[in-house]
Amino acid sequence: MTVLTADWLLSDTLAPQVEGDPLAPLYAGSDRGELVLPFCAACALPLDLDQQVCDGCGAAEITWRAVEPTGTVHSMTVMHRREPGLVVAAEPYPILDVELASGHRLIMTTRTHPSSLPRIGDPVAVAFRNLGGVAIPSADLDPAAPPTTEASS
Amino acid sequence: MTASDVALVGLGMTAMSLSPGRAPQELAREALGLALADAGVTHGDVDGLLVGSSQGIRPDRLGVAFAAQGGFSDLRLLEHVEIKGATTIAMIQRAALAIETGVARTVVCVFADAPLVAGKGAGSAYAHSGGQSGVRGLERASGMLGSVPTYALLAQRWMHLSGATADDLCAMATTTRAWALGNPAAVVRTPLDAEGYLASPLIAEPLRRLDCARPVNGAVAVVVSGDTGLGHPVRVRVRGSGREHPVRHRRAGAESWFGGGRRAVDDALAAAGMSRSDLDVAELYDPFSVVTLMLLEEYGLTDGRTAGEFVRAGETGPGGRLPTNTGGGQLSGFYLQGMTPLAEAVIQLRGDGGERQVAGASTALVGGIGGRLDHHAALLLERAA
Repeated sequence: MTVLTADWLLSDTLAPQVEGDPLAPLYAGSDRGELVLPFCAACALPLDLDQQVCDGCGAAEITWRAVEPTGTVHSMTVMHRREPGLVVAAEPYPILDVELASGHRLIMTTRTHPSSLPRIGDPVAVAFRNLGGVAIPSADLDPAAPPTTEASS
Repeated sequence: MTASDVALVGLGMTAMSLSPGRAPQELAREALGLALADAGVTHGDVDGLLVGSSQGIRPDRLGVAFAAQGGFSDLRLLEHVEIKGATTIAMIQRAALAIETGVARTVVCVFADAPLVAGKGAGSAYAHSGGQSGVRGLERASGMLGSVPTYALLAQRWMHLSGATADDLCAMATTTRAWALGNPAAVVRTPLDAEGYLASPLIAEPLRRLDCARPVNGAVAVVVSGDTGLGHPVRVRVRGSGREHPVRHRRAGAESWFGGGRRAVDDALAAAGMSRSDLDVAELYDPFSVVTLMLLEEYGLTDGRTAGEFVRAGETGPGGRLPTNTGGGQLSGFYLQGMTPLAEAVIQLRGDGGERQVAGASTALVGGIGGRLDHHAALLLERAA
């Protein structure tokens, strides 16, 4: 029997496209429990997720590799509007813009419903939540907390 | 021909509707007809057409097929212009350039949008758009639904860096509403005080519903001409313009939303031979209250004060030193992207502002931004003597 864990926040219909997607290496890494992000293959500058050519040296070859899953909060909001049909959480939820130790920035919510919220500049660890079978990087504010909803199939 | 001969000589606006209804093409057709009539010209006088539309919300957005749909004959200039919220100013720049170089004589710029569809509110329509691929797909899978949370993150960061407060947002929203009271075309015309503002629900902290623009279904068309023998009796000259496209990267240890825009304003002023103290009104792109505050500072319009101080002192309101978003802006007037500030500038410079008319307004700065403050455009307009 496979145990599927439903996401605490969003409907499975928001699961990202993975196959053929420009971010496929990120999702493949996330599935292995690794935070995988793009760098310039020539000068190792951290690149935007959809960047095709390095703005530092002009090289067009990109290397995706695992990075340290830690960072600090660049900005943070609490989303009070919960779109019916897309958001399943019953309470307002956080969205964080995180500066990663690797030099990248990544938008994420939290792995589970958070017991408290970080402020700008606070450190965060990155883990993963499961949305419709796709592992999504998320801030792990409560490492001991289990995923909130479980269903069996 | 000199740049100062190019003028906005016709303006047509549909009613701005908060209800679902007509398609963008139908709205564009109405605005076009009104603009041609306002300018006293016919289709046959027009040899250029520029169209603009918003991205993503609906598939049947306005495009170059409007040349045929809108009843035009052969044209010398036809383009769909697209740099997000800075599109309207880019259209005016494109039209002016074509006229100055002799490519065309009279160009119509049309923007139409109809994001409101049956069965969904505006917030819902935007929340459901954006798709599941690429960076946007990952952001949406992280709860970034619609455009409000994007600007909420930007607002939180800006407030963290600048020391601006929720009181500043409140002052901006209530001041902008004060202008809307005098604008019959504004979709929200009830007085708003701090208490009413604070009663507005939070959408994404720190932004409340009343910090957010009101999307409408509507269209605006503008006739731009270098022919001094035609058009509305009050010509609104294009005196200068500028653009700035800061190419931003999202990296740790750096900002990715701030800076940019001042050079666009500097260039527009320089072309006009004017300084900031010459500006009678400022019509800025204000999808969120925080954006107006940021732009007032970035454009260098606050006399060295913080934007919050400037606004709370009444400088942007009726009777202030720099009346700003005098039709209620996108917050309380209507959100038709860059056409909102452009149309209001034309109305003010013609002296047609009625209850909200700024006495003696003869120069206007029009601002445009696109994306996540990635594109800046500025336009300097002056009523012809």
